[in-house]
Amino acid sequence: MAGGVIIILLILVALIGPHLVQNPNAYNSNLINPTFSRPYGPWGGISLAHPLGVEPVNGRDMLARVVVGAQYSLLIGFLATVLAVVIGVFFGIIAGYFGGWIDAVIARAMDVFLAFPLLVFAIALIGVIPNTAFGLSGNQLRVSLLVFVIGFFAWPYMGRIIRGQVLSLREREFVDAARSIGARGPYILFRELLPNLVAPILVYSTLLIPTNILFEAALDYLGVGLIPPTPSWGQMLSNAVSNGFYYIDPMYMIIPGVAIFITVMAFNLFGDGLRDALDPRGH
Amino acid sequence: MRRRSRLAFAACAVAAGLTLAACSSGGGTSSTGSSSGGSSASGSNAAFNAGVTKVVNPSTKKGGTLTFALSSTPDSFDPGNTYYAWTFDMTRLWATPLVTYKSCPGACGNTLVPGIATSLGTVSDNGLVWTYHLKPGLKFEDGTPVTSADVKYAVERTYDRSVLANGPTYFSVLLANPKYPGPYKDKTGNQTSITTPDASTIQFHLQSPFPDFNYVASLPQTAPVPPSKDTGSNYQLHPLSTGPYMFQSYQVNKQATLVPNPNWTPNEDPQVSQLASKVVINLNVNAADLDNRLLAGDVDIDAQGIGVQAATRAKILSNPSLEKDADASPGNREWFTYINTKVAPLNNVACRQAVEYAANKTDLQTAWGGPYAGGQIATTLLLPGMGGYTSFDQYNAKTDPTGDLTAAKAALAKCGHPTGFTVGASYRSDRPAEVAAVQALQAALARVGIQLQLHGYPSGTYYTDFAGSPNYVHQHNLGVLMGGWSPDWPDGYGMMDELINGNTIAPSGNTNIGELNDPTINGLFAQAANPSITDAQRNAIYGEIDKDAMAQAVILPNVYATNLLYRNPAVTNVYTMTPFGMYNYGVMGVSS
Repeated sequence: MAGGVIIILLILVALIGPHLVQNPNAYNSNLINPTFSRPYGPWGGISLAHPLGVEPVNGRDMLARVVVGAQYSLLIGFLATVLAVVIGVFFGIIAGYFGGWIDAVIARAMDVFLAFPLLVFAIALIGVIPNTAFGLSGNQLRVSLLVFVIGFFAWPYMGRIIRGQVLSLREREFVDAARSIGARGPYILFRELLPNLVAPILVYSTLLIPTNILFEAALDYLGVGLIPPTPSWGQMLSNAVSNGFYYIDPMYMIIPGVAIFITVMAFNLFGDGLRDALDPRGH
Repeated sequence: MRRRSRLAFAACAVAAGLTLAACSSGGGTSSTGSSSGGSSASGSNAAFNAGVTKVVNPSTKKGGTLTFALSSTPDSFDPGNTYYAWTFDMTRLWATPLVTYKSCPGACGNTLVPGIATSLGTVSDNGLVWTYHLKPGLKFEDGTPVTSADVKYAVERTYDRSVLANGPTYFSVLLANPKYPGPYKDKTGNQTSITTPDASTIQFHLQSPFPDFNYVASLPQTAPVPPSKDTGSNYQLHPLSTGPYMFQSYQVNKQATLVPNPNWTPNEDPQVSQLASKVVINLNVNAADLDNRLLAGDVDIDAQGIGVQAATRAKILSNPSLEKDADASPGNREWFTYINTKVAPLNNVACRQAVEYAANKTDLQTAWGGPYAGGQIATTLLLPGMGGYTSFDQYNAKTDPTGDLTAAKAALAKCGHPTGFTVGASYRSDRPAEVAAVQALQAALARVGIQLQLHGYPSGTYYTDFAGSPNYVHQHNLGVLMGGWSPDWPDGYGMMDELINGNTIAPSGNTNIGELNDPTINGLFAQAANPSITDAQRNAIYGEIDKDAMAQAVILPNVYATNLLYRNPAVTNVYTMTPFGMYNYGVMGVSS
């Protein structure tokens, strides 16, 4: 429950927050001590005007950057999960229901995807894609790429679970009944089996979201994420580490770190709760 | 006109990321010479920034171990195969070139003085033949006498890039017979552009006059190498010393140990000294660990000379007892922003001037690291202390350092875009300071409606494929491009030729990224190349080029870089020299 409440709050923050906070890209260099590159005052320059302080070097408002960063993190996390779920469910049902060589091909494909050195591939792919491609440019392109890379390689997790569920479901009486009155493959797959899979799909997508958010943060951290000055939690962490700001301004690392921590934990708690409620035998 | 090889610069830019430089002095620099060594003074005169203008802890005390460390590795310790500022500084301990820099603090060190030559080179009337005479009695560490043939061979071997790939390429570009493959492939010795009329005379025959040739002769590449001892790329394991120290042992990527060279006398090169009884260079030390050991006194000097980490900077500058042993050394480098003259609407000079006016120079300075670790706000192309440098401020960078928005708007109106325009901006995304700087520029220009679309590229291919490729720049509408420059030697040619001379524009590896091809400026460069004018006249021309280039607004100077360096209080004779941008490693000793 607590997880659910936090998630709703996060979504509200991501939807409404960016309209309430100040411009996340506005410089406040008067708040920065140029000798040390760090904000004046303790705790990363926390003040009434900047409740979470400001970034070192440029004095951008941390609250605004964390809030706008939440929007990107959640957006990419959700979209990548949707992509993974759609592909995973589709192939999972087919593999589980038809069995035989179709199952073998899809299952091996899943193995290949699971064994893929994804992080290395993602860095290479995003690194070589130019700034304009597929009719998109700038951050639109980056967001699409991140969603594609994260989602497309996460589908086998969902696919395997669905396949397992379908393997047991297809032997049940209602499926036999549908088959005996002449229903064909697609009808059985999407009208008979899919409604019975809603519970595991919901549970596992909720658990997939935090993984994807973490992965997005990792890619941002490694420098293949969004284009500056777009706020992003992963980039804030990366900047704090690569410039040594964690020593002179620890808040710059702690704040985005806590944001990621809360988000990931909320989704995990929510997913666990959902599983308990919908699928008591899952434990 | 001839064109300097870009390959060396690009390779160096990739490897060093930060530093390329060589040096020599520019004529016309007024020098107030305090010489190396000095009398053994009592007490310490250490103070913050003292080492930038005077000798700290002057002493003639001998003995002790001088310990250097660095977080990376050299490209090579072979004087013929290296292209870092710190190796140009360090190799003087074991390899004395024909000409060298005067050992004295600050811009005084820009002065060229003889190394193993008896005097600076003399040039023939047509400007094509440069002659040097060797000092008598020069010896290698094994006692063999040094002859002009050893100098000739040392230069010839640098022609073979398949063996010695790292060094600068000025000789093969400047000298006649540029196709010579080097002595490893051509055993006949028919390199005709270097001649040795006798055992103590060497002559270089040029394709066209090059008044800066003494600077070229100051490259470590002119340090003699005996053909019988040359082992190609392995020569760096034990370069035969002509300087005050010689290699005792060298474990590649780990540690080099140097001991005094018994066959060296101060007459051979008075610009270096032989105080410590041992010099240790530790390689590949973790950067944070190195800083801690530096402050603890386990390491005397960070050899790389590019400054301490941000955390250490905070420690030093907030603690007076550490601060007194630190220097914000001028770094022989400028960080700047190219403004492309071919990308619309920046092909209109008024639009470029709007960028110059609107930039927030204070924010840029903070982004580069602030006044001590980043640099001083720059307003010119020439670095302070260079021949021809005059302090001028065309775009009110000093009087209005946060940007002159009124003038910027007026310039925008003049160029026909009163509400601003949108243009691409390129930067190296793996360089945190550059990422910060381009964002500062973006925020500042947005105030007058100039919107920058940021495009980050890897630094390894920045000059070959992206910012250094005019085609790419035009196709992607990159009007504003971050960059920086360390001159190979401290004069107007070394600083500006590759940046704004129209005939240096190249299809790849371009460094005239603004693509300025201005007949007046090109003409002034041609005048400066005239061998019959004096250095003072030449420097006056460089000063004029600087002003013209700023009027063209083809480069937005950000900062004259500074490096925050820390010296162990036990080290003697410490000061920074402008041509290296770091401490003079040739004269140091230890007091305990």
